[in-house]
Amino acid sequence: MTISSDHNAAEHGEGRSLRRKKQIVDVSIDVFLFVVSILMLLPLVFLVANAFKTPAEMLAWPPTIIPRDPTLENFSAVLGETPLLRWIGNSLSFAVMSMIAIVATSAIAGYIFGKFRFRSMNVIFALFLATAVVPFEVYMIPLYFQVKALGLLNSTWGLLIGYLVMSFGIFLIRQNVIHAVPDELLEAARIDGAGEFWIFLHIVLPLLRGPLGALSVLAFFQAWTAFAWPMIIATTQSSYTIEVGLALFQTGFTVDLGRLSAASATVLIPSILLFVILRRNFVQGVASTGMKE
Amino acid sequence: MASVEIQNVRKAYGDVETIKGVSIDVPDGSFVALVGPSGCGKSTLLRMIAGLEEISGGTIRIDSRVVNDVEPKHRDIAMVFQNYALYPHMTIAENMGFSLRLAKRPKPEIAERVADAARILGLADYLDRYPKQLSGGQRQRVAMGRAIVRNPKVFLFDEPLSNLDAQLRVQMRAELKDIHARIRTTTVYVTHDQIEAMTMADRIVVMRAGVIEQIGAPLDLYDRPANTFVAGFIGSPSMNFLNGVISDDRQSVVTGDGVVLPLASPAAAEAGRPVVYGIRPEHLSAGSADAPLSLAITTVEPTGSETFLLGSIGEQKVSAQLRERIVTKPGDQLPLTLMPSNAHLFDAKTGLRIE
Repeated sequence: MTISSDHNAAEHGEGRSLRRKKQIVDVSIDVFLFVVSILMLLPLVFLVANAFKTPAEMLAWPPTIIPRDPTLENFSAVLGETPLLRWIGNSLSFAVMSMIAIVATSAIAGYIFGKFRFRSMNVIFALFLATAVVPFEVYMIPLYFQVKALGLLNSTWGLLIGYLVMSFGIFLIRQNVIHAVPDELLEAARIDGAGEFWIFLHIVLPLLRGPLGALSVLAFFQAWTAFAWPMIIATTQSSYTIEVGLALFQTGFTVDLGRLSAASATVLIPSILLFVILRRNFVQGVASTGMKE
Repeated sequence: MASVEIQNVRKAYGDVETIKGVSIDVPDGSFVALVGPSGCGKSTLLRMIAGLEEISGGTIRIDSRVVNDVEPKHRDIAMVFQNYALYPHMTIAENMGFSLRLAKRPKPEIAERVADAARILGLADYLDRYPKQLSGGQRQRVAMGRAIVRNPKVFLFDEPLSNLDAQLRVQMRAELKDIHARIRTTTVYVTHDQIEAMTMADRIVVMRAGVIEQIGAPLDLYDRPANTFVAGFIGSPSMNFLNGVISDDRQSVVTGDGVVLPLASPAAAEAGRPVVYGIRPEHLSAGSADAPLSLAITTVEPTGSETFLLGSIGEQKVSAQLRERIVTKPGDQLPLTLMPSNAHLFDAKTGLRIE
């Protein structure tokens, strides 16, 4: 009797120490992740805070997180003296149209690469992937001349020409089609009497909602944050996108930190909104690796 | 309803021929099962009937019309897949009414036909749910409902029960048989499970490596298998095969180690010819001490209703399925008797049946 109770006590003690060890590990992971996320958020917090600071406070040391003397002057200056809203509008229409184009081309091409087996298909797919290796900057200039010849400089259409197709998008959708759309589903639909385009619209697209949502976010931000291409395509102030516009606050010799911060803070709003709306799709789409039913 | 005629159909991928000239007649309203081991070409053949695979040679007729180059949707068939192939983003009602919606049928008619099929299959309470909310058996029933709703000329089933657990499979087997008895639509059913084929089909086609080994009614295949392959494939547990030669009086087969296996009538083969003597495990029974055969037992598997024994007669491995409960253990010698009329005789070289 005593032997077994001693034994039990020893077991309990061992269990307790194991539990404590596990707790310590868990807490340290939490602390580590918390610190990392604070470090990642800090620049953003300072950006927004700076937008509400006076020039003097902005250069003060130590820096303040909550402005002592908050002011809206930077915002009114930015909105009053520069066509910021216009730039945001340009960026929005460019990013939305590019997103639609990339989602459409990736969905169609990804589906075809994923499900239709012709011998030439692998070669074409390899060529598509090869384009991802060539940096955009390499063919940016020839493309610029093409846009110029078409008379599309300073227009959203001109911007769009560089951002219609995304080879990574095609790859992403192809992999998802292979994993998430079983052949039998398409065959069942064919036997049921559906045409190929009908199958694509009503069977394939709904099954790809997750990855397409993720791709939408990626495509939107790719265009939203594009700099070099809009820089050469948009030559007049009124046709600038927001990225090009923001660069105006930074001249060769000075940086107008207050206005730059205010403008940047304004620009954050649409991006954050879109991410919040599509967050679930984004996480699902990026995380899906064939673990679906 | 319609008949399906398959004449000398071939399928080749480059130089590799996977279906080597197959001919099958599926009469109107019948239930034909294609069975065979993996890779025998049964699924390919079914997909060729459906129009999902092209035909390299021969003709397929559905309702007397050659359909070799007809698209699947114009063949008036319905197919049930192994993994159900339900559209995950549609409700059960939408899944079942899908083909009618494509055919632009009026909504009230779709609703009525879906409701009818749901009633037959006991799915009436689930019409508003999504496939992932149903169990495996229910999903399988929805897949069948989708086929029934169309009222096609031919049903094609591609191993529809293989994803279900054993108990559900037995239940669905009975349900399928019952549904076929009621609606009597011509059915071609692919399975690798010979029990499924035996219990459900009017006729069974046994295939191996792209060729038909035998076509016949289930009990015909069991009673008179055309060769050793069919004999071993049909029936569970598998038939015992004992190698030997025809005795001088042609009344028995003598194995290499001198065991004498009796025949019901003089063999239709000359004395001394090498043959394979086939006897099913369930046709062996425990005999008295002077019985002609003696089984050296290596394994005893009591299941309650019967006792399954593994062992050897002479040098050759034999299994026996006894209806009675016997007290025995590995290492024992058990005297066995058999009815010579239950024995099968095959040529040792060709494997073909000797009458």
